[in-house]
Amino acid sequence: MGPSYHLLTFEAGQEIVAFPGQFAMVRGATWGQAPLLPRPMSLLEPGRRPAILIKIVGEGSRRLAHASPGEPFDLLMPLGNRWSPCPAGQRPILVAGGVGIAPLLFFARELAASGVRATMLYGGRSASDLPLSEEVAEVSDARFLTEDGSRGTRGRVTALLESAIGETRGKSKVYACGPDRMMAKVAEISRGLGVPCEVSLETPMACGYGVCLGCPVKRTSGGYLYACMDGPCVDAAAIAWEP
Amino acid sequence: MPFDQTVNIGSLTLKNPVLTASGTFGYALEYDDFYDVAALGGICTKGLSLTPLVGNAPNRICETAAGMLNAIGLANVGVEAFCREKLPQLRARGVTVIANIFGTTVEEFVAIAERIEKDEGVHALELNVSCPNVKKGGLLFGCDANLSAGVTNAVKRVTKLPVWVKMSPEAGDAVGVARACQEAGADAITAINTIRGASIDIEAQRPRIHHRTGGLSGPAIKPLALRIVWDLASALDIPIIGIGGIATAADAIEFLLAGATAVQVGTANFADPEAGAKVMRGIAAYCEKHGVAVRDLIGRVKRNGP
Repeated sequence: MGPSYHLLTFEAGQEIVAFPGQFAMVRGATWGQAPLLPRPMSLLEPGRRPAILIKIVGEGSRRLAHASPGEPFDLLMPLGNRWSPCPAGQRPILVAGGVGIAPLLFFARELAASGVRATMLYGGRSASDLPLSEEVAEVSDARFLTEDGSRGTRGRVTALLESAIGETRGKSKVYACGPDRMMAKVAEISRGLGVPCEVSLETPMACGYGVCLGCPVKRTSGGYLYACMDGPCVDAAAIAWEP
Repeated sequence: MPFDQTVNIGSLTLKNPVLTASGTFGYALEYDDFYDVAALGGICTKGLSLTPLVGNAPNRICETAAGMLNAIGLANVGVEAFCREKLPQLRARGVTVIANIFGTTVEEFVAIAERIEKDEGVHALELNVSCPNVKKGGLLFGCDANLSAGVTNAVKRVTKLPVWVKMSPEAGDAVGVARACQEAGADAITAINTIRGASIDIEAQRPRIHHRTGGLSGPAIKPLALRIVWDLASALDIPIIGIGGIATAADAIEFLLAGATAVQVGTANFADPEAGAKVMRGIAAYCEKHGVAVRDLIGRVKRNGP
């Protein structure tokens, strides 16, 4: 999917029961001592052939993206919690930035299967930062935004959020996954309009199950929550967003 | 059993020489889904402080070449919650529990040891006098022979449990500090804790760890750890528990041959939650292949010829 984004599908050899929002810790079985740690990756698809979406940001994601067919991987999954259900009478508005589309496309598919077509605001720097956009359009009412205007509306993904919430007369719930600054903005707009907002956190992580304590996120009520065990899907109001 | 796996750390007999390291194994209950943690020689708890600690601001971890930096800041539930909520479950499972404890003063170490003394189920204390990621205590104790000995002595006076002292690799004279702890009554020395390192994000032009430095662990530090363990085992009378970059049975056997009586598996638990179980099985297989009990490996490294 272009130079930066890659879809990776695994033969799990068994049915993986996982829900939208949950993640896997993924490590190449042949990596040896470097990269040392597994990488947390949101699941795009569960089942016998679980899939993840990779954006190349460093050595680990580069190795994942360039895996050869048949290469063995160790996957620990499903980990973390799922997106909370959208209450009856509220319309789900999904806001995705780039690779943040993975857990939201998974969610949109689940919603579509239950007869709910979500609103999707999907943004990126340019058209090439909108992987899986055809799949997204199949299962949601998708609006695309790019900062350079190469596809859809020119601007940041948050530009259309206020009007999307307005169209539901405030009867909506917002779900967001993307860069921290984007999610902070989504949280701020949602709060301002009085609609609930949930975000999927992304942080460095060594274990994925509450042991390393490497994934703290500052909480509004003081102290930290941990992305792996308290999330990754959390109420945006619980997060003390960095300015 | 033809190839006995038990080892003795002072008065404490371990089922086998493999423990899991403090800070990399939670309170062990987290690993219930992966394997029977009671089969381990022991588990070292996350460092316990007198009151709960929330830990350092993020980022707390980053990966480095064949290793990782961490500056968690000893986030833990506190000794009281550990004794009430975790220990009964560990006791019920028959887990050999080493309570790793941390204080910013000698008095705090003593108070934690006294609290643990009130309950059944802890088999030894491991004094963390070498945490590089907290502002007070930590390395300050561990790099000074008198301070380390002082903490050891004070804790020994209030507990009947064996006391292990976890050494910093940054003590200029590791043997001197360890010997002072031995004289103060330490039952064993755990070596080594992490060594401080740093990493900088050149795009952001900021340290990758909020605390600026973090403790380096993983395969990257194994040769350094092995050298220190070898030095300590050669110089001391009390057992040494080797730790530092042990990911496989082969790594562990190197430490045993260098003189460690037992080993701890740490960062490897993150890459593979079953690392401890695999190291146990691998050592047993090695013993079978060589027809020896595990205690016959300890310190058996041969000298090179002339």
